[in-house]
Amino acid sequence: MSIKRNFFAGVDVGSLAAKSVILEDGEIFATGLVPSGVDSVESGLKALNLALETGGLIQEDLTYIVGTGYGRVSAPYANKAVTEITCHAKGANYLHPSVRTIIDMGGQDCKAIRIDQDGAVVDFAMNDKCAAGTGRFLEVMAGVFKVKLEDLGALALSATELVPMSSTCTVFAESETISLVARGEKPANILNGIHHAIANRISGLFARVGIASDVFFSGGVAKNTGMKTAIEEALKVTIVKPEIDPQLIGALGAAVLARSFSKKEGLWA
Amino acid sequence: MAKTALYEYPAELREEFEATEDIHFRDGSRATAADVWHFMTEIGPKRYPFAYTQKKYAGSRLSRDIHLPSAIKNHYLLLTMNDRINKSRENGAPVIFVQGGQSVDPYYAAGGIALRPASVGLWARGRHEGLGLNEEAIRSRNQREKANHAISFEACQTAGYANIQEDDLPVDMVAPFTCLRCSDISYGVEAHRHGPNKAVKLMNIDYPMRHQADKPWAVEYFARNLRRLTSEIGKRAGREVTDDDLTKEIKLHNEGRRLAIDTAELWWSADLPPTNGVDRRALYQMGGMEIHGDPSASLTVLRESNAYIRERVKRGIKAEGVVDKPIRLFVCGSCVFPNDFRIEEAGAIIVGQDNHWSDISTLVAEEGDPYQNLAHAILSYPYEQSIEKRAEWTIEQLKKSRADGVLFLYQWGCNTQSAIARMLCDTIKRDSGIPTMIIEQHEGGSEQSEQLLNRVNAFIEML
Amino acid sequence: MTVKTLEVIRKRLDERPDELRKARANGQKVVGWTGYNVPEEIIHALGFIPIRIAIGGDDRLVEVGGRYASSKNCVFIREIVGAFAENEDPYIQQTDVLAFDATCLQNFRAAEVIEYYFKRDVVVLGVPRNFYWEEGQEYFVNEANEFTRLLEERAGAKLDTVKLAASVALYNDIRKTLKSIYFFQAAKDNVISWEEVFDLIQAGDLLDKKEYLILLQETLIELQELQPDPVIEADGADGRIFISGSLIPRGDRKLIGIINAVGGRIVGDDLWTGILPHLDLDIKEISPAGVALGYLNRTPHAALPYLDLESDRRLKKLHELIDESKAQGVIYHTLRYCDPFTFKAKETKDVLAKSGIPLLEIHTEYAGSDYEAMRTRVEAFVEMIKIKAESAAEVAV
Ligand code: SF4
Ligand code: SF4
Repeated sequence: MSIKRNFFAGVDVGSLAAKSVILEDGEIFATGLVPSGVDSVESGLKALNLALETGGLIQEDLTYIVGTGYGRVSAPYANKAVTEITCHAKGANYLHPSVRTIIDMGGQDCKAIRIDQDGAVVDFAMNDKCAAGTGRFLEVMAGVFKVKLEDLGALALSATELVPMSSTCTVFAESETISLVARGEKPANILNGIHHAIANRISGLFARVGIASDVFFSGGVAKNTGMKTAIEEALKVTIVKPEIDPQLIGALGAAVLARSFSKKEGLWA
Repeated sequence: MAKTALYEYPAELREEFEATEDIHFRDGSRATAADVWHFMTEIGPKRYPFAYTQKKYAGSRLSRDIHLPSAIKNHYLLLTMNDRINKSRENGAPVIFVQGGQSVDPYYAAGGIALRPASVGLWARGRHEGLGLNEEAIRSRNQREKANHAISFEACQTAGYANIQEDDLPVDMVAPFTCLRCSDISYGVEAHRHGPNKAVKLMNIDYPMRHQADKPWAVEYFARNLRRLTSEIGKRAGREVTDDDLTKEIKLHNEGRRLAIDTAELWWSADLPPTNGVDRRALYQMGGMEIHGDPSASLTVLRESNAYIRERVKRGIKAEGVVDKPIRLFVCGSCVFPNDFRIEEAGAIIVGQDNHWSDISTLVAEEGDPYQNLAHAILSYPYEQSIEKRAEWTIEQLKKSRADGVLFLYQWGCNTQSAIARMLCDTIKRDSGIPTMIIEQHEGGSEQSEQLLNRVNAFIEML
Repeated sequence: MTVKTLEVIRKRLDERPDELRKARANGQKVVGWTGYNVPEEIIHALGFIPIRIAIGGDDRLVEVGGRYASSKNCVFIREIVGAFAENEDPYIQQTDVLAFDATCLQNFRAAEVIEYYFKRDVVVLGVPRNFYWEEGQEYFVNEANEFTRLLEERAGAKLDTVKLAASVALYNDIRKTLKSIYFFQAAKDNVISWEEVFDLIQAGDLLDKKEYLILLQETLIELQELQPDPVIEADGADGRIFISGSLIPRGDRKLIGIINAVGGRIVGDDLWTGILPHLDLDIKEISPAGVALGYLNRTPHAALPYLDLESDRRLKKLHELIDESKAQGVIYHTLRYCDPFTFKAKETKDVLAKSGIPLLEIHTEYAGSDYEAMRTRVEAFVEMIKIKAESAAEVAV
C-alpha cells in the first residue's frame, strides 16, 4: 500500500503579480509566479496551474487551498481565505523562525508586521492611501527616468549625493522630480533622494508597531537593492537574506496555513 | 563631490558697513558693525555654509541688497540665534514656544524669550553646523518626518514637536495663544504630552472666538490666561511679575509696532520698491519684535533701517534686482509664503501680508490694567474677526499698499485658513474688485514646487 | 429573536420629517444643533424642537461642501456644509435656527461658512480649551448665558426654570434608560446587537424626546423579558471589537459593515454619536450654568486638549469601557482631516498597548474607494485577535 502524499497550496493574488506555492507535507514542492491580469480568479488559477505543472500535479492532488491577497475574497478554487498579513507572518516564520518583523512592499501597498515566535501577528500597520514605497510608485519613477524598473535600485546606489525630496506622494513627487531634473540634478542623485524619502516614510509604519530583529523584507519591491539599502539605513537594521523569492512569502504562508487548517479539519493525520 | 563656491560679501563694502550702528541687546551687551562684519564674512561661511549658497532661489540665502545694513544685520541675528538663545538661557531666561501671528509682550515682561515655530526652527538649525544647503534640507526634512510619525501625516505644523521632542531642543515651555488663526495649535501642544521630553511645561493660552473683543467675559478670560502665563514664566525666570513690568513691556513693543507701521507706510508710498521682498518682510516683522529672540536687537535694527528707507524713498532709490514697475502682490493666509526670488524674477513683488501684520499693526492701550489692555488688543486682531471684518481690514491694507492682486496661500492639511480662503477672497473681490487667487502649498522645501510657482506666475501674467 | 419596538422606532423615524413639517406649520420652531457641548436641554426647555445635525457617508455632499469650505476640512464638516448647500436633507430643510459650538474648531468654521454662504441664522456657543481651569468654567458659564439669551430672542420667550427642570428630568431618564439598554448588546447570547443599539441612540437625535423615552422604556422591558440575566463575558474567539475615534453619524455605516462582514463583533464604543455623551452627565443646578457645566464636565471630547497624559479622563473612560465590554481589540476610526482624533491615534495605541489591548487605526473618508484596503486591515485585525484568543484558550485548557 502506497502512503498517500499530502499537498497543500497557497495562492496569493496581488495587484501586480499572482503567486502560488505548493507544500508537500512540510517542504516547498513547487511554485508559480505570473503577472496579474484584470480577472483575479483567472490570475490566481494561472499561478496555481503553473505551480501544479512544475510539480507534475493536478488540482485534485491538493488536499487544501488557502487564498490570500486582494484576490482572496472571490477565489472559488480556495477552501478558505486569509489576509495577506497573516500569511506573510506565517510564511516568513516558516522560512526563518527568528524573524520578528516583516516589511512587505507590494504593488499597491506597504505593510509593517510584527510577529511572535509562532508566526502569529502581534501588530501591523499599512500605509494610508500613500503610494510611497509601492511597486506602482517606483514604476512611475522608472517612467520619469526612462529606465527599467529592475535597474532603479542599482542606479540609486550609484549616486554621489543625496538630493532632498520634500514629497513622497506619487503625484507631487512626480512633479517635484521633473523640476529637479529641470534644475540639472543628476538622475542617480534624485533617485537616491527618492529611495531615502520612501525609506523614511516606511519607517513611520514602524513608529507605530515597533521593530525587533530579525527583519525580513518581502514583496516585489524587496528585489530592489537600492530600496533594501535605504531601508537598512533608515531603520538601522540588517535585513535577512531570503531563501526564496521574497515575492512568494504570502503564498508560502497561505500554503502553511492550508496545511494546519486541513489538519484541524481532520483531512489528514 | 564638487562643491560650488560660497557667496562672499564684497570686501570693498566693509568700510561703509562698519560705519553703521551697533546692535543693542536686551542684556545690555552690544555687537558693533565690525563684529557683525567679522561674523558674516569669516565665521558664518564656516559654520553655516547653507546660507551662503549661490543657488538663487534658495529661501534661506543671504539678501544681495548689500547697501541696506539691516539686511546684513538681520542675517547676522538669524545666524547667531543658537549662540544668543543658549547664552540667555544660561542667564536664566526660559524659552517659550509660541505661534506665529501673535504678540509676545507678556512673555518678555515675565523674563522669558518667546519663539514662534519658524524661530525655533532657526535656533535648532543653528545647532547643526557645517551643513550645506542640501544637507540642511535633508536634516530638517527628516526631523519633520519623525514628527509626522509621532503625530500624524495630516499635521501641517510639526516644527515644535520635531525640534523639542525629537531633537532635544531645550525649550522650557510650550505656551502659544491657541485657536488664533490655527485650529491645530492646541493639539500641537497636547501632542507633547506623549513625547520623551517631560521637562517642558505645556500650556494653552486660550483665545476665545466669535465676537470675542465685544464680550467683556471673553476679554476677562483671556486676561486671566495671560496672568497665568506670566506667573508661570516668572516662576521659571525666578521673579515676581508686576503689572508695571507688563506696562513697560507693552510700551516697548508699541514702539516697535509704531515703527513697523511707519516703515510700511513709507515703503508702500514709494513709486520704486525701496527694498526687495525678503528684506521688506524682515523689516515689518521686526516690529513684532519676535524674530530675533531679542526685542532690543530687533528694535535697534528697525530704527536704523527706518531712516534708510526714508532716505531711499525720498531719493527714489530702487532696491537691487527688482524691476521698475513690478506687479504688487499682497499675501493672505498663514504659515506659507511664496518664494520672493521667483516672484521678483517674474516681474512682481510682495508688498505685504495679513498674517503677522494683523498683530503687529494692532497697538495696545498703555493706561490702565495692562492685562485687560493686552487682552483686548489681542482679541481685536483683525485676522481673527468675522469674515466681513477681516475682509474690510484686508481691503484697507490692499489700498494702502496699492496691491494689484491677492494671493491666498495655505498649507496642505491646514483646516483653518483653507476653510476661510474662499469666503475671504469672495468678499475681497466683491467689495474691492481686486483679483484674488487661492493656492495650496504641499510640504515646503527651501525651494518651492514648480506647480505652485507656475500658478503664481500665471496669476502675475494675468495681472 | 427580534426586539419589536425597534420596528416601531424605524417607522416613527420615517414619519418624522412630515411631522416636523406640520409642527412648523403650527408655529413651532426647529433648532438644528451640532457640537459636543451644546446643552440640548436649554433648547428643549425653550419650546424648540431640537434636531441633531449629524450626517455622513455621502461622498457627493463632501465634494459639494469642499467647494465652500475646503478639501482640507474633515469629511464630516464638509458633508454638513454640502448638505446645507443642497438643502435636500429633510431635517436640514426643517431647521429654523442653527446652534453650533466651538468644541471642535472645524465645527466653528462650518458655522461661519454656513452663515456666510447660505444665510442661515446661526447661534454659536464658545467653548474653552482650558476647560478644567476655574477661569475656563466661568467663561463657559458666561457663554451659556449668552447662548440662552440669543435663543430666547429667537423663541420670543424667557427660559422658565420649571420647564428647564422638566427637560433635565426627561433627558436624565433617557440617558439612564439608554445605559441599561446598552448593557444588553455586549452580553453573552445577546438578543440585541451593538449596531441596533447604535441606531437606537441616533434615533434620539431626531425623534420627539418624550416619545423617545417611552420607546426606550418599552425596548428595555422587552429586552428584560428576552434575557432576564444578561452577563458580559468574552467567549473564546468571537472577535470582540470596541470602536473609538471620530464620530460615525447616520448615513455612514462603511466601517461597521466591514467589521461585521469579516466576522468581528462590536461590543462597545466611546463615539460621540454612540454612548459616550450620555454617560456621566451630572446636572447639579437647574439653570443654564448648571446644565452647561454638566456638559463640560463629562468625559471631554478629543478636540479639547488635555495636557497631562496620566490623568486624562478621556483615556481613563476608554479603558473603563473596554474593560466593561470585555473587548479584545480596539478599532480606532479616524476621519480624513479630523485632527482631534487623528493626532491622538498613535498615542492611544501606545497607551492601550501597555494594558495589552491591540488597536488598529482605520483612517478613512466617505468615498468607497478605500473599501478593499480597509477590509484587508480589519480582517487581518480580527484574525489576529481571534488567533490570540484561541491560543489563550488552548493554554488555559
Ligand atoms: S498651516 Fe494652518 S493648521 Fe497648520 S499651523 Fe498653520 S494655521 Fe495651523
Ligand atoms: S471632531 Fe473631527 S469629525 Fe468632528 S468636527 Fe472635529 S474634525 Fe470633524
